[in-house]
Amino acid sequence: MAPGRRGRIVRRTAVITFVVALSLWMEIAGFMATPEAERPEVSYTTLHAIVPLVFAACAGIAWRIGPTRAPPRLMVAFVVLWIPQSIYHVIGGIDWLWPLVRGVDLGWGVIAGVLVMVYPKGFLGDRFDRWIAGIAVVTSIVNLLAVLLLASPQAVACECVVPNPYRIADAPALFALIDIGYRVVGGALALAIAGRLLVRWVRASVPARTVAFLMPLALFAWATTLAAQAVNYAASSTANTVLNTVSLIAMASIPVSFDAGVAHARNMRARVADLMRITREGADRGLWAESLARTLRDASVRVYWWDEERGRYVDAAGTPIDEVDADSRGSHSILPVASPLGTPIALIRHDRVLTDNMRLLDGVSSALRLSVDNGRLRSEIERTLEQVRQSRQRIVEAGDEARRRIERDLHDGAQQHLVSLGMRLRLAANAARGAGEERLATELGDSITMLNQSLKELRELAHGIHPSLLSSGGLALAVPELAGRCPVPVVVDVQAEGRLPELIESTAYFVLAEALANIAKHSAATRAWVRAHIVDGDRLELVVRDNGRGGARLDAGTGMVGISDRVDAVDGTIEVESPPGAGTTLTVHIPLGGPLIEH
Amino acid sequence: MNDARTLRVAIADDALLLREGIAKVLEGGGIEVVGSVGTGDELLEVVRAGGIDAAVLDIRMPPSYRDEGITALETIRSGGSTIGVLLLSMYATPEYALRVMGAGSGTGYLLKERVSEPQTLVRAVETVASGGSVVDPEVVEQLVKRTRADDPLSRLTERERSVLELMAQGYSNGGIAQTLFLGLKTVETHVRSILQKLDLEESPEHHRRVLAVLTLLGER
Repeated sequence: MAPGRRGRIVRRTAVITFVVALSLWMEIAGFMATPEAERPEVSYTTLHAIVPLVFAACAGIAWRIGPTRAPPRLMVAFVVLWIPQSIYHVIGGIDWLWPLVRGVDLGWGVIAGVLVMVYPKGFLGDRFDRWIAGIAVVTSIVNLLAVLLLASPQAVACECVVPNPYRIADAPALFALIDIGYRVVGGALALAIAGRLLVRWVRASVPARTVAFLMPLALFAWATTLAAQAVNYAASSTANTVLNTVSLIAMASIPVSFDAGVAHARNMRARVADLMRITREGADRGLWAESLARTLRDASVRVYWWDEERGRYVDAAGTPIDEVDADSRGSHSILPVASPLGTPIALIRHDRVLTDNMRLLDGVSSALRLSVDNGRLRSEIERTLEQVRQSRQRIVEAGDEARRRIERDLHDGAQQHLVSLGMRLRLAANAARGAGEERLATELGDSITMLNQSLKELRELAHGIHPSLLSSGGLALAVPELAGRCPVPVVVDVQAEGRLPELIESTAYFVLAEALANIAKHSAATRAWVRAHIVDGDRLELVVRDNGRGGARLDAGTGMVGISDRVDAVDGTIEVESPPGAGTTLTVHIPLGGPLIEH
Repeated sequence: MNDARTLRVAIADDALLLREGIAKVLEGGGIEVVGSVGTGDELLEVVRAGGIDAAVLDIRMPPSYRDEGITALETIRSGGSTIGVLLLSMYATPEYALRVMGAGSGTGYLLKERVSEPQTLVRAVETVASGGSVVDPEVVEQLVKRTRADDPLSRLTERERSVLELMAQGYSNGGIAQTLFLGLKTVETHVRSILQKLDLEESPEHHRRVLAVLTLLGER
């Protein structure tokens, strides 16, 4: 846990503990100080004491999940300002204190109103709200000043017995006007807020209503009772106990509604996050509709997908739907989702009330778009990759075929012709000798020797281009022959039953040829081992090991690159283990029946 | 060895020019060419018809241009025929020679360019016709050149090596003595020593000796 976070939690816990203690003290001390005959019922006092406790608890929660820090602060302030009337039995004799307390003892009402208005964003959203809040604050200040400057113990109708030291004028009529006017304005503002919230709620979507209905209900109940109380106060009649109880319960439900609403919104965001996760992982269509219904809390959600081939929307099962059916039929709306290029992706048919929650629908359609785009890109990449893979294999095959053809052409063409030429030269030499042209005969004989030397070189060249032994005898014959040509002594172990596909044989052969050439050139080895085995019946394993100096890398030197290119072309894997000074082991696996091998 | 009568030979090669050249060379050496065909199958017919002492054939012929010559040889041998068969090849690959020699006695493997050495070719045909074995010196050279850890050839002396190479080419002790200008007794001593050092059994039959030497060289 971060130190800052821990400090914050400690501070907030201390604040809440303090205000709760203060509130309980005011409640209990006031109750104890009230003469027994005047005491309200214990149940009422208990209920009255519970209200700030609920606020304090909700402040703790709001601090953790709230959108801003304003709501929990308002809730804490409420606890402090929730001043019971009985407290004046305790502080009524303290002349500097009672006018101050009396001036702010209705502040909780303002706090509660503002708290309702900052729901759910955590700040005052529009001008109307700011106006209401402004009026409430200004009237509260006016009221405070009026109490401080004008109130006498007799005028405030509380157990205040000592004179008000701040008082500067004796204007009981003006004070009464302000005192009652403040309550009336407060009641009116509360009603205005409640009405406004009610309107907002009626317009809100079903998901928002389901949990947030508590808030306007609480506010409405409280505003009603407040108005009634204000009227009662103005008429100087005694408060109705039932009305008071309802008012208290309504008040206590405000922070609860606040926290519940915020928690619901968080939950909603979490579900959208779920949707995004599904998007990222690429979901099938059935799962999509299901999670969409869950996210939107709307079981009637249907997703219709655009079918490129048929040029119309189809449901998850692939059945085309009529355009008419897709149209809104009163209770439902259609949300079309298209790719950034404008190609249609899907239609989401949802409950009409969800239309109000545009941000949620935006999120949903963005997620859908992302998902489809992802899938489209993925399959496009896969297709391209497959094409590249196939063309690479074709290139290698074409290269091998070209080698075979060149070798055959050499064999049947140049080599054959040179052999014939040699034969004719011999006949000519014999004829020359017969005719006594000894010098010419010797000359021709030397030419034949040179010609045969050229033939030998040509034979080596042809063998290097493509060993005929590989075509006729496969790896079992060609690999030992190859190893025999390596200047480093090689121990050969080939166990490849029968013949393998041509591409695999030539790949294996040239991989081994490159590997042995590397050993001869770079390794300084005195011994090498070559093994070619069929493993698990489905792949050819080649292992080339030497006791040389090691330090070989796949990316160093053309030989290794040539090897890995060839192996890649047949979907094989290659592994080089070459610790410095401890020899090199090259392990290659080539799948035998891979999808690429079509022989 | 052909004093009694003229050798009758059939030639199989898909290159007409070469076929005719070979015929000319052989005829120049006093050998009668009774058949000249372009494929292994055609040669088999000629062989089946009988009346020939030896066949000279290309290793690579239609239809697949791989090893039809060797296949034809193996068919001839499996048919019980003991006529001499001389394979001509562009490849100095020992594996082919080993496979050819594995078909039994009276076989030979020569590089095609030997057609410009009439005596070599004629002598090879005569050798196989009389049941002897012939392996091209370059093929033997390839075998001897092969590298191997713990090479048994390293135990041989320079002279013994030369004798071994000639043994592998199919020379008899007499032939070796002639070629190396040595006495027959000396050659026999060398051969015994070689066989002992290489852990080979002394075989009274000439072809088995050649095959054993070749196999040893090939399997090193």
